[in-house]
Amino acid sequence: MKHTLKAAVALLALVAWQSPLAAQSTSPALQVPEKVGGVEPGAVGGVGLALISKKIVLAEYQGRDVINNGVILVKDGIIQAVGASKDIVIPAEYEVMDVGNRWIMPGLVEMHNHVAGRFGLNDMVYLANPGLRASADVEPGNHLTKMGLAGGVTSVLYIPGSGTNVGGQGVLLRTGFDTYERCEIRNPGSLKLAQAGNPERWLMRPGRTLMNYNTRATFKKGIAYAKTWEAFEKDGGVKPRVNPQWEIFRHLRKREVHISTHTQMYQVVMMTITLVHDELGLPFFIDHGTFDTWRLAGEAEKREIFGVLGPRNVDPPNQGMIRWTGSSPERMQGVAAGYQDQGFTRIGFNTDSPVIPQEELQLQAAIAVRYGLRDKEMVSLRGLTIIPAMAGGIGDRVGSLEVGKDADILITTGSITNPQHSVDMVIQLGEVVYNPQEEGRRW
Amino acid sequence: MKSSIFNTGLLAALLLGLGLPAFAMASAATPGASFVIEDEKEEAKDEESDEDEDKTRWYAVVGGDFHTGTGAVLKNATMLCKDGKIVELGYDVWIPEDAEVLDATGFRVYPGIVAIASTGLFGGGSDVTNTVDPYSQGMLLGLASGITSAVQGSEIAKLKRGSIDDLVMGSNFFQTMRYRSSTPSGKQELRQKLDEAAAYLRTLRAWRADRSKDKGKEPKATGIDMGLVAVLAGEKRAIFREDNRAGLLDIANLCMRYGFRPVIQGGREAWTVADELGRAGATVILTPRDRRAKDQSLIREGGTSIENAKILHASGVQVAVRSMSTGNNSMGGIAGRDVIHLPISASFAMRGGLSEQAALDSITIVPARLAGVDHRIGTLEVGKDADCVITDGNILNYATFVQWAIVDGAMVYDKQAEMYYAHIRPRPDDQLAPEARVDAGEEVEEMTGIDGEPIVKDAEEGEGDETPKEEEGEKEKSKED
Repeated sequence: MKHTLKAAVALLALVAWQSPLAAQSTSPALQVPEKVGGVEPGAVGGVGLALISKKIVLAEYQGRDVINNGVILVKDGIIQAVGASKDIVIPAEYEVMDVGNRWIMPGLVEMHNHVAGRFGLNDMVYLANPGLRASADVEPGNHLTKMGLAGGVTSVLYIPGSGTNVGGQGVLLRTGFDTYERCEIRNPGSLKLAQAGNPERWLMRPGRTLMNYNTRATFKKGIAYAKTWEAFEKDGGVKPRVNPQWEIFRHLRKREVHISTHTQMYQVVMMTITLVHDELGLPFFIDHGTFDTWRLAGEAEKREIFGVLGPRNVDPPNQGMIRWTGSSPERMQGVAAGYQDQGFTRIGFNTDSPVIPQEELQLQAAIAVRYGLRDKEMVSLRGLTIIPAMAGGIGDRVGSLEVGKDADILITTGSITNPQHSVDMVIQLGEVVYNPQEEGRRW
Repeated sequence: MKSSIFNTGLLAALLLGLGLPAFAMASAATPGASFVIEDEKEEAKDEESDEDEDKTRWYAVVGGDFHTGTGAVLKNATMLCKDGKIVELGYDVWIPEDAEVLDATGFRVYPGIVAIASTGLFGGGSDVTNTVDPYSQGMLLGLASGITSAVQGSEIAKLKRGSIDDLVMGSNFFQTMRYRSSTPSGKQELRQKLDEAAAYLRTLRAWRADRSKDKGKEPKATGIDMGLVAVLAGEKRAIFREDNRAGLLDIANLCMRYGFRPVIQGGREAWTVADELGRAGATVILTPRDRRAKDQSLIREGGTSIENAKILHASGVQVAVRSMSTGNNSMGGIAGRDVIHLPISASFAMRGGLSEQAALDSITIVPARLAGVDHRIGTLEVGKDADCVITDGNILNYATFVQWAIVDGAMVYDKQAEMYYAHIRPRPDDQLAPEARVDAGEEVEEMTGIDGEPIVKDAEEGEGDETPKEEEGEKEKSKED
């Protein structure tokens, strides 16, 4: 009997040793509070949750960076309070989780994702189809999304491709849940505009088919449609007919939704700025922004435009096919560093997943720093959180740890810009949605 | 530009085909590096007396913190090299008057990285000796990333910029074996050949040990696979490409039965059979960022794990890290995944819990052992080749740059003398200036060590004027408070 007990203990020890969920960090294991009344503390309808940490990265836009020895109060999935331990009184009914030396930071935000769905979109039929919705194609909780979640990515903009000028509408999603309804942050999440390069499909049709004309004409039609509705809403009269193809422009005109623009190379980004911003007055952000576009980052900064840079992260000296620009014949030019050198401040990062796997979003920030981005004022961490969130128009909901925002929180072993550090837990809307201690470590 | 790969398969193929791999390597013949070009050497020989030909070549690296790779860190030490070999490493080292001296004060010195798989670093084809371009962009970028030796094809060679002498250190050190359950007959065949090879080896050894005069002729090797004999005799390592748990178990059993130590390339599910691989004495060449979902039809654990390297190492398996792409496709614009970012690949193993020392080993001494050249490279030790890199911080940190690279006791790369990286955090002329000793990455680590202990211990030396904003934030906060 004694022997069997010993053997069982040994076996258990062996299993624990073998299992990846055991002994993953030197810090004591995280103690997740028990459910109260069947609901997780912090989640919608549950009691409150207080998170205590030695370092809380707030990542406020142009605001505070970090709080040392701080507390976050979460209730009903929303951040109720955040501040230094000595300033915050934890209400008696709140459950407490002390994360020790681990860091707390906002969930990462990805504005260029192609893996949250089933690749079921065909946006290649017309050169412009602003009515096509990526939301029809979402596959909540698929493997690639869960890998991204393990890398700390909690919000994504799932978008159509760049094979046509106007590819359709993206959808903003949470990554931690298993149903579309719980995942949706906003639909429509964006309108996808693609310029030059890909929509030309230079090796097959259609080539450079008057695409600025095409974009301008499409956008003008959409704006005209939106103006008809605006006139009706203001003055009444005959109610216009709803046309799903143009509905998105009502949201764009109200600046509820932004255009994510596949744009790279100097003259192309210049066209985006002059056409979409200056001429048509629609909100957009630079997506990609690679090759030599850093040279006009000053122009973008004047107009307070956001840049979500990647997946290319360097502009190397090259003699190869990508000699379109010849922008840096003499050096390895970091893309983000180039923007920063021109005074550009709204620097975000993307992966264009699966071009770079979703879980490696943080590496884009690390590479930016390696190739010259000065990481003062937490530029790299903000570029993973609040900057892309604001670029997509959800900076009021996610991207930083501020009162009233969604409780999308990462518990990490350190600064997530460093690839050596990892995510020990992900909380979304106050619920634990990734817990390596229980489900095994994915990333 | 890559985002349209979702639109049509054809377009995807075209973009992938054209977009990423095929950037011609520009040959970067950048003068100014401090080596002697062959022609000049010839001229020098003509002019100077014969005595100079035999002149001892001294090179000294003075004042750096030597991370030797043996576990020892010698702070502010000196390394003296004679004719390309390390002859002294320590303190109070006598330096000959005619030695070339590099002042590395405030910097770190590491053994040169050994890439266990590479393409394009030598600027030529598969035959390094006859096709090397010692001025190629690939070689320069390799050295800039810390690589001083690399395996290409079946050879291991040095990145000796400006020289074509004594590049190749070894070749054909691996014997490829296939032992897969998908071809049971192949497994049977391999076992039979191994039996034959083992029998032959026994006969041969008995014959060699026999001192009698009438011992007869050497046993015939007809039909014997001499590659397998070399493996059984311990002269070569057997390499298997295997990712699956079942296949890995088969290999471990095979190797224990025949008494040789396997090298596994891939090993995605190796963490699930780490003990078995440890008992078989395996070395695994893995890519920490590899990723494959678990086969949901199986109950047992499977798929990739970021903890693969850590778990294997804890079970006594030696781990070598290989980059996701063995080429140099940063030149396509996506940096961080190829052979010139090998330390970043290794740092993903650290993300999974591998210790810093083991992560350094995985790109230095372990690959050197695999290639059978660990007596020459892989660590900084007296008697070994003088191949080292001098960095501005922890070599495994993403922000660290190689400042100088030294191969065979001669400088072959100087960051500030080449066009590629000189503009990024340039090295001030005065190396003792505080800025020169500030290592951004070090500071990040210092702050982020999970157990409150800075990973890097020489913080007081690295302390500069630049304070990271997080700390400024703290100060501001405390002011507010």
